[in-house]
Order: sequence, then structure tokens, then C-alpha cells
Amino acid sequence: MKSNNNTNNTTDIRNAENAAQVLVNLHEIKKIFYTDDVETHALNNINLTINKGEYLSISGPSGCGKSTLLSLLGLLDTSSSGSYTLAGHDVSDLNRDERAAIRNKEIGFIFQAFNLISDLTVAENVELPLTYRSDFDAKQRAAMVNTALEKVDMLHRAHHFPSQLSGGQQQRVAVARAISAKPSIILADEPTGNLDSKNAQIVMALLDQLHQEGATICMVTHDPRSAARAERMIEVFDGKIVADQRTETPTAIAV
Amino acid sequence: MSITLDIKYAARLLHKKPVFTALTIFIVAIGLGLTLYTYSLLSNLVFKPLLLNKDTPIISIEAEFNQSHLFRIGIDPYDLLTIRNEMDSIDEIGVYQDRTSLIGNTQNNSVTRKYNSVNIEWNVFEFTGVKPIMGRVLMAEDHFEGAEPVIVLGYDIWQHYFMAQEDIVGSVILADAIPTRVVGIMPQGFAFPMTAQAWLPIKQELLSPTDWSRNGLFAYARLKKEVPFEVFQQELALLNKKVVKLLPDNVRWRMDDFEGYLRAVPYKKANITQFYSIFITMAVVVLLILLLACINVGNLLLARVNERFKEVAIRVALGIPRNRLILQMLLESIFICTIGGFLAILIAGWGLELSNTVFEQMYMATEQKPFWWQVSLDVDAILLLIVAVVAMIAITGFIPAWRALSGDFNAVLRDGTRGSQGKKAARASQILVISEILLSCVVLVIATILLSTSYSAGQADYGVDTNNRITATIELPVVDYPIREEEEFELADTLKRTAFYYQLKDSLEQMPNIEGVAFMSQLPGTGAGASFFEIEGRVAAVYNENPYSNNEVVSRDAWHAIGMRVIQGRDFNLDDISAEVDTIIINESISNDFFPDGDAIGQRVRRAFRNPDADREGGWQTIVGVVSDTYHGSAMRTSSEQYSSYFMLDHIGYSSIDVAIHYNGSQAEAEKSLQHAINQVNNNATVYNMQSYDELISQPMILVSAISKVFLLCGVIAIFLAASGIYAVAANSISQRTQEIGVRRALGASDSKIMQLFMRKAVWQLVIGLSIGITMSLWVVNKMTDTMVINQGSYMVGLIAIPLLIIIMVLVATYVPTRKIVLMEPSDALHHD
Ligand SMILES: Nc1ncnc2c1ncn2[C@@H]1O[C@H](COP(=O)(O)OP(=O)(O)O)[C@@H](O)[C@H]1O
Ligand SMILES: [Mg+2]
Repeated sequence: MKSNNNTNNTTDIRNAENAAQVLVNLHEIKKIFYTDDVETHALNNINLTINKGEYLSISGPSGCGKSTLLSLLGLLDTSSSGSYTLAGHDVSDLNRDERAAIRNKEIGFIFQAFNLISDLTVAENVELPLTYRSDFDAKQRAAMVNTALEKVDMLHRAHHFPSQLSGGQQQRVAVARAISAKPSIILADEPTGNLDSKNAQIVMALLDQLHQEGATICMVTHDPRSAARAERMIEVFDGKIVADQRTETPTAIAV
Repeated sequence: MSITLDIKYAARLLHKKPVFTALTIFIVAIGLGLTLYTYSLLSNLVFKPLLLNKDTPIISIEAEFNQSHLFRIGIDPYDLLTIRNEMDSIDEIGVYQDRTSLIGNTQNNSVTRKYNSVNIEWNVFEFTGVKPIMGRVLMAEDHFEGAEPVIVLGYDIWQHYFMAQEDIVGSVILADAIPTRVVGIMPQGFAFPMTAQAWLPIKQELLSPTDWSRNGLFAYARLKKEVPFEVFQQELALLNKKVVKLLPDNVRWRMDDFEGYLRAVPYKKANITQFYSIFITMAVVVLLILLLACINVGNLLLARVNERFKEVAIRVALGIPRNRLILQMLLESIFICTIGGFLAILIAGWGLELSNTVFEQMYMATEQKPFWWQVSLDVDAILLLIVAVVAMIAITGFIPAWRALSGDFNAVLRDGTRGSQGKKAARASQILVISEILLSCVVLVIATILLSTSYSAGQADYGVDTNNRITATIELPVVDYPIREEEEFELADTLKRTAFYYQLKDSLEQMPNIEGVAFMSQLPGTGAGASFFEIEGRVAAVYNENPYSNNEVVSRDAWHAIGMRVIQGRDFNLDDISAEVDTIIINESISNDFFPDGDAIGQRVRRAFRNPDADREGGWQTIVGVVSDTYHGSAMRTSSEQYSSYFMLDHIGYSSIDVAIHYNGSQAEAEKSLQHAINQVNNNATVYNMQSYDELISQPMILVSAISKVFLLCGVIAIFLAASGIYAVAANSISQRTQEIGVRRALGASDSKIMQLFMRKAVWQLVIGLSIGITMSLWVVNKMTDTMVINQGSYMVGLIAIPLLIIIMVLVATYVPTRKIVLMEPSDALHHD
């Protein structure tokens, strides 16, 4: 309890009763791609609020703008217009370095293609985001890596290289990497897209578990069963949010 | 902290690709090593000012370099006095006259030995800030007429000739047969002005002359601290204008064709005037090679970033700060360039050691190695290396870092494909290929032309037979053979000197192992003196529109001794000495070009001067013979004239002359015979530079051929860099387009269509790269022709063979990787990353 006092400041702001519950706020977001005289309106006037601790799924037909939306949320790309507030801070007009710092601290990514670095060991991959800031020394980092790997049950493979792992294992490592730095929000783009159903099941279960432990998760998926595991389902069509509903029993449909 | 992780990671990557790592380190080491070597060489031999214990550089004041003779000329002592009196910018100045001295022992007049000595002003020791290790240095009084002859000996003479005799100072030795008191011993290594092993006081009359004379002096000087060298040069140019106007007719030969006479040169540069542009060319070539190496390494690292693109994208997504990313990209460059830098020190050190050996060999016979020709790595060089390494890290690391920062990571992360090569990246790789072509072309063309020129110069036919011939220079002792200024003694003195040579010739030719003896002012294959000549009845309006020829003085009955032939007419004979008409012998080329009907004999010619009296009458010489062609001067010279005129030795009787001796049996035996014969005629005469005729001819070429070996090395390195670089750049830019090729094929493009597409692009790059490259090489080569003749063959090799070679390299480098991708299944190509 005593140690908690040190971090009380930030926790207090995030947990503050009213507006502070809101983690993400997108307002009138537009994204237009220009390629060879063709304008693609990938996102049109998106308004979206995500509260802390929410488990959100985004689905919709291919090309409707799901990934674009997730990229914007993850600060991997900038919007053409509109504003984006993350944890109470306006992040629409940050420079590259500031955005990198926010990605590093506040956001955890899980990709469809795992995207582990093949020349780093499992442990080193998980440690990677931690090495990009100076808050932790090597000992602390090792402890955090251990915790994260333990959570995804991959500790026994800590010193293997990604190529020595199965797809499901790789994605579990990717999940560990996403959570190792305790981000505010986890963004997953089709996290089970490259996995067989059994491994997909394990990864989905992991996300459920993270959610129950309080993580905020935003997941793109075109698989309705996966989508249904989230407590809130958003549907995108042609760059617009066309549906936004809450499921009554978020994890009940699990098969 | 976590930077150690990055370092570990970079090391792991390099370790995983040993071939890549070794190759890049090798390229860096070669590029930097060559740069370091060349810098050390040039700064030691040419550019670093000679300071010698003080902080203002030493300069040389001398006459305009004689471009056609290729040697330095001194200034009339009288004009030097003017310089001393009128130029306030000079802080310290002194004069000297290089010479050789025959050093001997008064006790046992057994062996004498020739040493490089100098007649020099007493202040030289103070000027250089060097103190004797024993005794004293020269003093102003030593110059005075009637003063006791004194000498300061070098360490070497003392150690080796006088066997480190302890009471040497104060003892009397023989210098050119004159009893001379040793007053001091200089420390080891001291050889100022250049190669001196002994220092004798210069005559007072040369220090304070009252009129012009035939003497030539060189001056060493330091300027006042506040006077920049360029300003002094301008002042001297002004003074030159004045001095030249004052020159009386009989010394007007002192100025060159452009009224140039007095000049000031940085001390070291003065010594290598004739090689200056070769050195500069070398610096240019090496810089280009360094640039080539940079581009190669940069490209290799760029290819690596492309391979690592996905990893970089992931790091970006995980929020790597930008400077960390740049650092990460730079780490590999830092590793490679630093290790390469250390190897470069080894390479350069080895090269410099080798150069020192070459210098030793070069000057073995003449002992004419300037004392500063000792090259080594110094602090400056190491600083330069550090700067170069940092620059190289920046150049080679910047390219990949730029690529890493400008990629479209989002796309990479989403669909796992590599961000398609943007227009910018495509243009960048085009520019890389073109600069590879361009740089390789320039380096290779220059290296080839130089190499082939120096090779053919070594093979040159000088029109003489050099087999079984030794050559030497003979100097008559002034005591026995004075040159008196008064006109009434001139004939007698000349005859006396001439008599020595013919006596020597007779006594030699009586020996069974001697076949023939020739005396010549300068033997074919070595430097020459040239001037314009007029042909009676067809004198050109302006003196320098007349033909130009070498002028040599030759003894009677000399031709056969060096393998020349009398083709028409006759040789000089005794009657010519007293005859009313002056006689001359011309060579075959003059005869063929100006007397094509074969009627040269009996015609008259004379030397043409700049400002003759309009109605000059005399000076005509009648042609009595035509001899076979020879070439004077080394083949590296622009001044090698095909025309030669010969004058009879008997009329001039130089006090020093070259001799060539045709012998049978062993060379050593012949050398002994020569020494023996000289001792018979007059044992005070000196013979030196004794060597085979072949050695004599190769002498001026040694430096050139040593440098051409460096160029050969440069050429080999350049070919290696060019081939590997062009291949890597082309392969890299082609593999970037793997997916595109896959798509094209999926859409039904035939193999040959795709090959054509890429080959056409390669041809374009060749056209651009080669046309710029050839233009640039021509420009550089043009600069080099100041100092050397470049023969047609070299041009052909350089400008046809090299571009052809590059064309082949580029086409292969395009064909092979394209072919590889074309042979892939389209589906593989599509998913390639
Ligand atoms: N980098 C890009 N350049 C141009 N158009 C793009 C780019 N990324 C996405 N798009 C376009 O934006 C739209 C939305 O794409 P995306 O968000 O990837 O869809 P999805 O819902 O399948 O994830 C598509 O029409 C796509 O073609
Ligand atoms: Mg998508």
C-alpha cells in the first residue's frame, strides 16, 4: 500500500470521477490519402470516446478504414483534420519525437503479423520498449520482462529467437511486449488473423484476462465471434462509424 | 545504459553477416589507409612547410625552373645582392652552391671518397638552429680571402670516413686536394640545405659581388612573421621586372621565355617542381577513391537498412526516440569505420615504410636524398584520420539513417510488406549507380594513363646501346684546371681541360676490356639543354618560330661507344679545332625534315637568340655530319626533342662532363679501369655517379615508376571498389523492385520485356556516368601533361578500354540480379520482402 502512494498522482488523475474516466476522445477525425491524383477518404468525421478499462472491438468490411483508425489511435499516422485527446492531453499536433514518446509509454501494439524482431531473443523483444526510456534500470527491466512473459506463459522460451517459435507463441510474445511497459491502451489489429483457431483461442483468452485485470483494449477484427468477446462493438463502414453497441455479457459467447 | 543493448545488437548483426562485415571493413580500411598514406607522403615531401626549429617556414629563392632541362637554376650573385638589399620582408637569408667534394686524409693519401658538400654562408647554422656536436660552426671571417680553408663535417663522414676519430676537430684533411682544417662536426641527420655531408664557406666575392657573372646561387630564407608568402611573391615579382630590365645582354639567358627569372618557392616544393602535378594528381585520385569507398560503404549499409526495414518499423511503433534510431543506424557505421580506421593505420604505416625503402634505393648512387624525405605517420596524420573516420561515419551512416527515417512504416507493420520504394529512394539509388560509374571511370582512366605512360617510358628506345656501358661524371680539380675570367687565358684553359679528357680516353682505350669512350655534356636518355636554331637562307622572322633542338657537346670519335652511327658526312676531327669555319653535326631527324634532298652537309645553321642585333652576322656553323637519332631527357618530359645538334668538345672543354664507356667483361672491372685511368692522368680529378647506362637512364624515372606503382595499387583498388560497388548498388536497387517485378510478371510481362526494362535503365546510367566521367578524366589528365608526355597508346587504353570495362561491369551487375528475380516464381516475388 505504501509503495502505491508514489504513483498516486497519475492514478488519481486517470481515475478521477468525471471526465478523467475518458481515455480516448476522437473528435471529427478525417483521414484522406492522396495517391496519384486519387483522394481516398479513408475516415470521415469519426467521433469516438473510449473510457478507461473498456474492451472495444472494431469490425467492418475490408477497406472500410479499420486499420487506418487504429493507426491514428496508435499515433502511427496523423489525421487530416479533427482532434485527438489521449488521457486528457491533446495529441493531434505533436511532433515526431513527442508522438514516439507517447507510443512508447501509453500504447501497446499487437499486430496481425506479430512483428517481432528476428535478431532479438524473446526476452529482448519484450524488453525493447522499456529500453527506449530511462525510467528503469536493467534489473527493473528484467523483472518487468519476467512478469510479462509469465503472464503469457512464455517465460520458458525467454532466450529463444522468434524463428524458433510457432505463430501462436510469437503472438503471445507480442502480447507480452505490448503489456510489458503497462500502457494505457492496447491496440490490436487482427491479432488472430494469422493464427489457427486453437492458437487464436489462446490469444483471445489472454486479451480477456488482460481486460479483467483492468487493461483498456481496442481490437480490430472481422471475425464476429472475436468481436463479440468485447464489451463494446463498433462497426465501421466506408470510413464512418455506423454502429456502436454494448454487449450485455461480454465473455459469455466464448466457445 | 540501455545503449549497451543497442551496441550488443549491432555487434550481433555484424557478427551474423561476416562476409558483409569483412567486406565493408576492408573497403573502409583501404580507402582510409590510402588516404592516410598519401596525406603523410605529400605532407612530408611537399606540403608541410620546412620549419627547422623556428616558427616561420623556410623558402627557397632561385631562378625560374627550367622546364625544358627540368632542373633548378640559381640566381646571379649580383641579383641576389639586390634581393638582399631591397626586400624588407626577408627576415633571414643565406646563399649556397651545391657541389661535391673529394674528401681525403692528409696522413695516408690512400682512398678518397666523394661526398655531397656545399659552399654556404656561415649563418646557415644559426638559420637552422642546429648546433655542432663538436667544435664550432662557420664564421663570417671564414669567407674572407686569405682565410684558412675550413670545413664543417657531417656526422656520417666523421663516423665512416674518419672512423669516429676523436681528435678530428682541429686536424687538417683534404677537400678536393686542398688541405682544409676541420672546425666542427654536425649532429647526425643534419644535411641542410638538402643533402650536404660537409659545409665549406662560400667565397666572399660571391656574397658581395660587384658585377654579374656566370655563377648561380640558391638562397634559403625566412620571411618576417607578419609577411604572408603570397605578398612576398608579389613583391618579388615586382622586383623581378626591375631586375630583368637591368640585365646586360650577356646574362639575358638567365630569364626564361616569359621574362621570368627570380622566384620564391616553399622550400620542399622547390625540390620536386617537376613532379608537383604528379603528386597533385595522386592526391586527386586518392580522394576520389576515398569518395568511392564512402559511397560503397554507404550503399552496403543502405542495403542493410532495406533488409532491416521491418525491424526499424517495429521499433518506430514501439516509440523509439528519433535520436536513438539514428544512433542505432550509426552504430554499425561506427563499428565498421572505427575498426577500418585502425586497420588503415597499419596499411598506411606499412606503405610509408615501403616508401622509405624505395627512397633509399632511388638515391643509392647519387646520395641525393633530401634530408626530409623520411616519411612517417605524425600527429597531423592521425588527426586527419580521426576527422576522416568521423566524416565517413557521418556519410555512410547518414544515408541509411535518412532512409530509416523517411520510410512508410505504417504500411510495413500492417501488411508485413516492405514500404514500396518511393520516388525519392528510387532517384537516390539511381544517383548512387551513376556516381559509382563516374568515379570509377575517373580513377581508372587516370590510373591507367599514368601507368601505361610510365611503363612505356621505361621501355623507351633512346637510340643508344646501353648494354655493357657504364657512365659516370668526371670533374676536373679547379687547382689544376682553372677557369680564368680573363679572355687571354680562355683558349689555353680550354685546351688544357680538353687534353685531360682525350688523355683519359686514350689511356682507357688501351686497356683490353675497354672498347670505346664517349664524353658528352649529357648522355642520351638524360636531361638536355635546348635552344632554337636558324638555317641559313630560311631564318624565321621571330626567333622562336625557328626549329628547336637539343644541344650537346661531344668528344671526337665518340659515336660508336654509345651505339650511335654517322649516317652521312663525317665525325669531328682534329682539323676542326683550328679551322676557320665552325663545324656542327646534326641528327637524322633534322636532316630528314629540313634537308629532305639529303643535302645537309655543307649547309650552315646557327643558334637563335631572343634579342639578336637585327643585323647579326656571325655565329654560323657548317654541318659536317649527320648522326643517328637519339632522345635526350626522360620520356616523361614534354621537352624531349627529336632534333639534336652536336658541338665539338674541343671548343668548349667543360670542367665537368659525363662519360660513357663501352666495355667487355665485368662492370666492376670496367669501373676499376676508369678509376685507375683517372688516377693515371690526374689523381685529383673526381669521378662520381658511377653506374651502368641502364641505371643512369632509369634514374629520373625511379620516382615516377614508384608513384606509378602507387597508381597501379590505386587502379587495382579502384577496380575492386568499382566492381563490387557497382554490383552492390545495382543489385540493391533491383532487389528493391522485386515485388514490382512479381506484379509485372503476374500481369503477363515476358522475361525479356523485364530484362529489357532494366537493361535500358542501366544503359542510360552508363551514358550519363561515362560522359561526365570521361570529361572529368580528360580535364585531370590535361592538367598532368604539364610534366609528362602522354603517349597515344595510353590515351587509347585509358579512354577506350576503361569505359568498356565499366560498361561490361554495369551490364553484368544489372543482368545477374535481374535474371535472378525474373527466374523466381511470380508469387514468391510478390510476397518477397
Ligand atoms: N497508405 C495509404 N495510401 C493510400 N491509401 C490508403 C493507405 N492506407 C489505406 N489506404 C486506403 O484507405 C482505405 C482504408 O484502408 P484500411 O484502413 O487499411 O482498411 P481496413 O479496414 O481493411 O483495415 C482503403 O481504401 C485503402 O485503400
Ligand atoms: Mg486492415
